[in-house]
Amino acid sequence: MMFKKSILSIGFAICMLVGCADSYHWTVSHPFYSKAPYGGIAVTGLENAFVITRSSWFAKRLEIDKDSIQIKGTLHCRSTFETEMRKSYGSLLVLPDSVNANSPEESLKLDERIFIKGRIPEQGVSLKDSAGNVPPVILILHEFIIGTDLKRENFFDYALIHNESGGIRKPDNVSAIFSYTLWDNLKQRPLFSAVDEIQQPITTYKLNNLTNLIQMAVQKIQKNLYAGVSK
Amino acid sequence: MKKLLAILMVLVAWASASEVYFDSRFTLWKDATIWIWALDGNSPVNANEFCLSLRRNNTGIGEPKCRQLGEWERDSIATRYGTWLSNNLEKGLPSSYLRVRHPGMAAKLQTLEDNIVLFLAPQGKNIQVAIFDETAQEPKAAGIVRANNDKIALSDDIAATFFDKRTKRRLTKEERLKQQTEPDDLYKEVPHLKFWAGMGIGYSQAHFPLTPDNWTSSHTRSRVKNYRITKDSVSLWNFIEDDDAFLSLYAGLTWHGFIGVELMYRYSNRDMKTDKSDTVYQELDHWNFGQHDIGLNVLFSMTYPINPWLSITPLAFIGFQYTFYNEDIEHKSDVKTPSRAYQYRVKFEDVYKGALLGIGGQFVFKKHYGVDLRMGLSSRGRDLYEAPSPDAGAAATTIGRFTLDCFISLGFEYHWTL
Repeated sequence: MMFKKSILSIGFAICMLVGCADSYHWTVSHPFYSKAPYGGIAVTGLENAFVITRSSWFAKRLEIDKDSIQIKGTLHCRSTFETEMRKSYGSLLVLPDSVNANSPEESLKLDERIFIKGRIPEQGVSLKDSAGNVPPVILILHEFIIGTDLKRENFFDYALIHNESGGIRKPDNVSAIFSYTLWDNLKQRPLFSAVDEIQQPITTYKLNNLTNLIQMAVQKIQKNLYAGVSK
Repeated sequence: MKKLLAILMVLVAWASASEVYFDSRFTLWKDATIWIWALDGNSPVNANEFCLSLRRNNTGIGEPKCRQLGEWERDSIATRYGTWLSNNLEKGLPSSYLRVRHPGMAAKLQTLEDNIVLFLAPQGKNIQVAIFDETAQEPKAAGIVRANNDKIALSDDIAATFFDKRTKRRLTKEERLKQQTEPDDLYKEVPHLKFWAGMGIGYSQAHFPLTPDNWTSSHTRSRVKNYRITKDSVSLWNFIEDDDAFLSLYAGLTWHGFIGVELMYRYSNRDMKTDKSDTVYQELDHWNFGQHDIGLNVLFSMTYPINPWLSITPLAFIGFQYTFYNEDIEHKSDVKTPSRAYQYRVKFEDVYKGALLGIGGQFVFKKHYGVDLRMGLSSRGRDLYEAPSPDAGAAATTIGRFTLDCFISLGFEYHWTL
């Protein structure tokens, strides 16, 4: 009898927890997103997307001077990202941020309270590379935030973005939160947009761990681009 | 005959060539102004001919005016959006995916006032059609029609496919301004206090609908013999009729639309259930009781404004009531002295106390005139608990110690607020 009662109460507690927990949609696909890019892709936004928070924590561990962690750290991330993308997609065209710099920053809705912010090219204008070619699909990386113990809802749920984290404590994970859009450059429409989060447990943190984090991120992006194809 | 069939088939094929992708029922004005926006500046229809087609296809359209929208055709922002729209306008794509993103283009749509923009773009053998008005940043309707070098036939096709609907009178400038600034009818604050007073009629009975008959039949079927003898005296329904109409007067108030109190009075006239086979009643002319209930209810309610002239307030109430019986008995005029049983006839208690419980709804029209429907339970009795006394066995039983019935009522009310 006692046993039955405890099972019941546990079940009740689970129901309450599940019922109260918010569930978000972190991706959105265009109804006509029918084929994930394969073999070739263009990418833009890499110059300004990467941001490292808690610079002194990273500076100490990556053995980079605190003053130059943003520049050197993000440059490392950027080159790793490019290398990794090149591995995943045979031919990679990296467009400078300037091709898209004139577009105003806009919001794109993923869920009731989830909006990503980024520069989205104008309707009716295709982005071109320096040679004047028009790449068919472009991955626009809006933001790539690296920090410790970050949660994406605190950055993208507008009801939570004003929450401040409690005092600094010993971190458990290095986190990467990144938002991106796969852009149909021929028809100028967003095919797929997402916000992803990666948690990387900390043992000792060195530069190759950061490299590994970026590699995981690229793999996750590739996986999501496949998973996001509208059925 | 064959020729006719061939013509019919061609007609059917021609008719099915035009297709509406979506139509969110844009407002088509009487005497509408249609601006024709051809993407390449080379309109597939003639503006004047299109107006004539509209008049042929829609008798309610009055005198429409049509013209080429040259300023958009020459504008690079509009042209970019137009090109984009032409690229993206596909079957099965909801209109929200065709939203204008450029602020300059959005501003153009917002300042359309009540003019309708008809977007036309060639696409292979078809012409893409999209319709814009000031109310949305996306096309209100879109589709394709078969391209036709005959501009009149093409105009007819477009008019029949997209403009074949009821028209509305165009508002004047003053009316538009007034409509923009007038308050929302459905927006109102909940009044601090709302009062009402009303009168109504109702019906009560001891038997609850949808319950087994035998719960109450022992009370309702029993008759009174010899002025006082009945099977069971716990319920008053052993003595008087339970199923009767009543008249009610009531007044109440609600505080902040949520909790309220209501004072009510009910009157009904109940006949005594005399056993007709008992000869002792031959001397009797009539015997009945006037039943007066005075009660106080606490109400819990929530008001839903349905439209400007109707609001509905579902409510639940719980309360108590006091019941008095007023005996009206007379023996026949030719009877000199009534029987001994008449002298010792049954006497009810001076007052019964009971509870009320139920649900209902107030339908208030034009903020003042209410119709009220209620249903519930009411009880009458004496305190069930009495201190046990040594001579309990000898004590007389209390008549009507617990009497229960259900009721339904309809009231007409006047409401006012502070």
